[in-house]
Amino acid sequence: MFTYYLALGIRHLRRNPILTALIVVTLAVGVAASMATLTVLRAMSADPIPGKSDRLFTPNLDNRPDDGSSQDPRPPDQLTYRDAIALKNAKPGLRKSAVMRISPVVAPSRADVKPFFGDGISVHADFFKMMDVPFIEGGPWSEADDARGGHVVVLRESMAERLFGDANPIGKTLRLDTYDATVTGVVSDRWEPLPRFYRLVSGPPPFRGVEDLFIPWTTAIANQMQPQGNVNCFSDPPPDAPPGYEGLKQSECVWIQFWVELASPSDAPAYKDFLDGYVAEQRKLGRFPLPNNNRLYDVKGWLDVNKIVSKDTRLQTYLAFGFLLVCLVNCIGLLLAKFTARSGEIGVRRALGAPRRAVFKQYLVESGVVGLVGGLAGLGLTFASLWFLRKQSEEFAVLAKMDWVMLGITLAVAVLSSLLAGLLPTWRACQVQPALQLKSQ
Amino acid sequence: MLVMKKLSKIYRTENIETHALRGFDIHVREGEFVAVTGPSGSGKTTFLNIAGLLEDFTSGEYHLDGQNVRGLGDVARSRLRNEKIGFIFQSFNLIPDLNLYHNVDVPLRYRGMSRGERRDRIEAALSQVGLSSRMKHYPAELSGGQQQRVAIARALAGGPRLLLADEPTGNLDSQMARSVLELLEEINGRGTTILMVTHDPELAARANRNVHIIDGQVSDLVHEPVLRAAAAPATATP
Repeated sequence: MFTYYLALGIRHLRRNPILTALIVVTLAVGVAASMATLTVLRAMSADPIPGKSDRLFTPNLDNRPDDGSSQDPRPPDQLTYRDAIALKNAKPGLRKSAVMRISPVVAPSRADVKPFFGDGISVHADFFKMMDVPFIEGGPWSEADDARGGHVVVLRESMAERLFGDANPIGKTLRLDTYDATVTGVVSDRWEPLPRFYRLVSGPPPFRGVEDLFIPWTTAIANQMQPQGNVNCFSDPPPDAPPGYEGLKQSECVWIQFWVELASPSDAPAYKDFLDGYVAEQRKLGRFPLPNNNRLYDVKGWLDVNKIVSKDTRLQTYLAFGFLLVCLVNCIGLLLAKFTARSGEIGVRRALGAPRRAVFKQYLVESGVVGLVGGLAGLGLTFASLWFLRKQSEEFAVLAKMDWVMLGITLAVAVLSSLLAGLLPTWRACQVQPALQLKSQ
Repeated sequence: MLVMKKLSKIYRTENIETHALRGFDIHVREGEFVAVTGPSGSGKTTFLNIAGLLEDFTSGEYHLDGQNVRGLGDVARSRLRNEKIGFIFQSFNLIPDLNLYHNVDVPLRYRGMSRGERRDRIEAALSQVGLSSRMKHYPAELSGGQQQRVAIARALAGGPRLLLADEPTGNLDSQMARSVLELLEEINGRGTTILMVTHDPELAARANRNVHIIDGQVSDLVHEPVLRAAAAPATATP
């Protein structure tokens, strides 16, 4: 009978075409408004590294002075140079990498490309495996390069094309600030984790900007590259501190982000114990005056504390779904009018042997058919809304994109919404007194 | 075929009780062609609705084809309606956006028949009313008489034991009315019991039994000579 009801539903779309069009448009507008905002919210709150996000952690150590100058219960969100070195060299942790944004002058060997400031990050070789970075040519540099501060570089695909054209860039050199770096690998342009959780602190917004090049963190430090982000110092340097970059390295200023991969999420408490132990040891040396207040965030926790999905975005989504609800209430009224106009037919069907439940099924399927049409129209409107959003900002350009899952969700929301909206009119249709209708026809 | 004993139907609103039928007794035998007459508001349609299981009754007994219908649920009543009863209405009540084939198909769908069996029955029913060549036409493309024939085909397709007709010729001109009545007589001749509500004495006179309802009570006028005599001049009128 389902196919019969389905055929009737499709046939009855043409009955009362204005009323049907009104229902479809109302539903489509509600679906488009809610799905466009949901698409953005979903992209913002998506897991940037599925399957691994519960094994990647960033440690925060509270090295603030005990002078009551900071009321923030959270410890600083970056590490000092000394702590980054110590955590990298410590045994716990499967893979570890410091992360520091850099912007060296890139001087290509091609005469037709002028020198420019590159956007990049300095990391350890572990970073590429930790973050599942896909290479299209070559690979990461070696651990030996990490140890000695090797003059090596990994380029993003588009940057490699810009610098070397169609030629294979592996083994070629380019000048970075004051030294020549050899290309060891090319990262696919498809690698675009959103949000860019590994460098959330300061710098460009989490959904904007890409790294054109990657160099060893040790090389960046050795060449005294300036960190492109916040450097937070909670106290004045001691009078005997060396000046300049060396002073920064020995200071209690935090300026380095750090990530560690653990073998299993269950290893996190042990790693946290290790952090507390490390801080306790450092306290004996006169550092970390405050009681232990160290944190270890996995990727999701890190995105949460950094409020990547803003309250405004959530509020927009709630409002959009509220609007969908208003549209559904309108649809209920319109469906009531549509079904009431067919009371005579319901009376005939009941007289010819249709039990109430058959009428219920028929009209619910019909609501679903209207919902499907409304969903398809809503899908079109959603695509249009997302296109419009993408034109508004660079951030929306990457966020406002429909994928297959959202496409399915959109259609499902439309059909479910219409079924929900159809419940009351369908129930009312079942209550039609056939005797009354047949006489009044 | 149809037995009602001491049957009553009371419509209640907040302040008013209306007795549509009271102490209603009737026994319609298998194969009878019964005309039900009576003034407006006498309870004819209420009787037909109760007979067709479209309305419940307040008290009394009703047996349809030997089955006591009191207390039957919606599904059982619907099945009984579908399998044993065919309806013909004054205003035809065809579904306007279904063609003739699909209109006749409606009761068969609720019977759960196979596609082949439904097709055979639909073709036979439409052929019986002389409209087999117009299966793909829509009701709006037919005359009133043809629409009523389709309604009869729809009622017949399920092979009902009882045909309930409420003013079946009320919306037709006399020629079409005569043709529809002849069709009903032919159907009755094949053994189907017919209960027909009518205001038309000519039609009533052609039934083999007349039942007159006044104030919700029945007076059975089997072969009433006065009624036949009254109907005679009307029969002669072209």
